[in-house]
Amino acid sequence: MTTRIGAVGGAFFMLLACTGITQAQTISYADAMSLLSKDCGADVKKFCKGLNLGNNEIRNCLEGQPVSSQCTATLASVTASIERRLAAQASVFKICASNANQHCKGVVGEVHILQCLIKTERIDSAKCTQAITDAGWR
Amino acid sequence: MALTETQKGIKTMLRRLLIALVPLVCLGIQPAGAQQITEHQLIGSLDKMAAAAPMVDVGLLIEEANSNAGRGIAALPNWSVLAELPQFAVDIEFENNSVAIEPQSYRTIGVIADALHHPLLRNYRFLIVGHTNATGKPEHNLELSLQRANAIKVALMTTFSIPANQLEAVGAGQEWPLDGTSPKDAKNRRVQLINLGPAR
Repeated sequence: MTTRIGAVGGAFFMLLACTGITQAQTISYADAMSLLSKDCGADVKKFCKGLNLGNNEIRNCLEGQPVSSQCTATLASVTASIERRLAAQASVFKICASNANQHCKGVVGEVHILQCLIKTERIDSAKCTQAITDAGWR
Repeated sequence: MALTETQKGIKTMLRRLLIALVPLVCLGIQPAGAQQITEHQLIGSLDKMAAAAPMVDVGLLIEEANSNAGRGIAALPNWSVLAELPQFAVDIEFENNSVAIEPQSYRTIGVIADALHHPLLRNYRFLIVGHTNATGKPEHNLELSLQRANAIKVALMTTFSIPANQLEAVGAGQEWPLDGTSPKDAKNRRVQLINLGPAR
């Protein structure tokens, strides 16, 4: 039974991952922008001429227009992914501070500490490893 | 029923395999054919900062460009310093005569955001330089390229929360063509990203 739920859950996860992004993961800013362009590009050209990515111009425009349902869904998931990744990147070293103190003594510099934390992943806290994953720094 | 260690191990392996497969199954994301730059290419080029980076005064760059429209700027004192700094040129498409970035170029903005947030680069300050080709009036091109560089800066600052003290923008107009023998060629239209050294 457990196995069957696992298999069904896995298939569902695959489906979600392919139609967009699951709430539980982040994607690179580049992939987020590719999705936005793929699913909302036509609506941007149709409804948001002259408006820009910055200052939420495109997002505000799309949210106020009768855009495709795929664009609406993608805009929401892309926005959520970007926010989650930004938050993770801003807080990784804080969240992982005690792990770094414990397992990476004497290691200096963010890049090296990050490399050390990835190596010591098995003994780092779940929160720390999740933050590194969400930050996209593996 | 409690799982044995072996069963747990197999479950973890399957889960990892599933996660690893997702990107392979979903390769439809990227537009085919177009040359795509990657975060790693950007980081690799922008990370090579010499110990003693020359100081760049962005205000002086703008002054020099404004007083030399139509006469070229690559050899001017402040602009010529830029050639010594780590840099990367990208193509970003804009709507005609507008500062609006075309959706097809959103990915490139995303790639830049990925690179500038990376621990290897996120303590540096970057200059965004906009270039046009030589059609139309030099003064107009100078102004348009500055506004477009600014649009990229604003997108990076707001949509991707790159701190304001890490980004500068200037326009070079048509004054610094990639190919001086054919200044009207579209290949001269580009955006340079230049590492200005540690952010203060």
